[in-house]
Amino acid sequence: MGGAERSARKRRQGERVGGKPNPVTAARKSTGSRKQALIGVAVVAVIAIAVVVGVIYTNSRKDATSDGQIAAQSISLDVPARRDGAAVLVGRDSAKVTIDVYEDFLCPACGAFEKTYAGAVEQKLDAGEIKVRYHMINLLNERSDPAGYSTDSANAALLAADEGKFLAFHKSLFASQPQEGARGWSKDQLIALGKLLGITAPSFADGVNAGKYDKDIDAAYATAKSDESLWQQVGSQKGFATPTVAVNNKVIETADPNWLTNATTG
Amino acid sequence: MTKGTVLVAVGTLFRLGLAAVWLVSGWLKASDPNQTFIAVQAYDVLPGGVVSVVAGAMPFLELALGALLLVGLGTRLTAVLSGVVLLVFIAAVAQSWARGLSIDCGCFGGGGQVAAGDTRYPQEIARDTGFLVMAVWLAIRPRTWLAVDGRLGGGAAEPVSGKVGT
Repeated sequence: MGGAERSARKRRQGERVGGKPNPVTAARKSTGSRKQALIGVAVVAVIAIAVVVGVIYTNSRKDATSDGQIAAQSISLDVPARRDGAAVLVGRDSAKVTIDVYEDFLCPACGAFEKTYAGAVEQKLDAGEIKVRYHMINLLNERSDPAGYSTDSANAALLAADEGKFLAFHKSLFASQPQEGARGWSKDQLIALGKLLGITAPSFADGVNAGKYDKDIDAAYATAKSDESLWQQVGSQKGFATPTVAVNNKVIETADPNWLTNATTG
Repeated sequence: MTKGTVLVAVGTLFRLGLAAVWLVSGWLKASDPNQTFIAVQAYDVLPGGVVSVVAGAMPFLELALGALLLVGLGTRLTAVLSGVVLLVFIAAVAQSWARGLSIDCGCFGGGGQVAAGDTRYPQEIARDTGFLVMAVWLAIRPRTWLAVDGRLGGGAAEPVSGKVGT
């Protein structure tokens, strides 16, 4: 006997005995469907509570940057830092070696690079051995929640360069780097950092809010991304990544701890 | 062992297996919310604000489905919901494949962009399809051992289906 036929027979049995509703099975059936309904409600409730509590909990973990401000880092290095499009050229004119550094303020590898080498780079800058051209890249612009931190921070750093505060601004952002996938720093927090570092010109705050250099940053990233001479091994193929470090226009491997020494002696 | 017993045993295995899948995948996603956000975003389907909500909710939806299956409460409904979620996952992976994106599905943590040669779309879809089979089975035959449904005598529906002779 097939399943459909069987349940049809059951239904007939349940509903009628000799043409009349069978009170016993009818009662049993209504108890069963009430149980079903209750179980359904319980299932939906468990899921709804889990999701609501989960979203609240997750947001509280991800919004670590929503309170407080970016700590201002001081820097003793005193060398020229001039904005040049979407990049900032740092160092004395007499320096013979130019190092191009492509960084995204959200990129964890860039944060690690800065942590490891910023001190040595500052020494070489101070000694007049190198110039560094910092390219503000917004590769990870979609990777903050909400999106936009890469561009906002890059734009703010360029504006800080206009105000003569690039080095401290750059250092402060990497020292308080937000996590990828979490909330970044807001425009207001970037403006507050500028104030902490002594930027008083209202054009700085206006520029941050208006995204003054956003288009230049997009364009510079597009150019860098399509420049095959800057590509590195990414997974199983080659492509543009951050950080990219190029010495006199040749990409070098910063995993080699002697890269900076080699750059200035080679 | 009768045919009915075998069917109930298979259902029990599937129920606990699917529960384990949801609990593990949900736990891995919930414990790294930033990575989960990046994984959801990599599918490039949803607008930014929605990505945030979906990435926040999904791990806990999976954990809830896993917990319900583990105890066997509302097995049929939970199985249907599991199937719907798995269909959405399969569709999401399939559209990434069709559009030529290079992403990891992030099914069990991880996720996000990968190099073009490192995608595993066929394997990911095959695996989710396997889970979908388990969900469909449970939606059709929700009666299993060690389930709260059995104690309540209602949730599994058709409590007699295994016993009626043919």
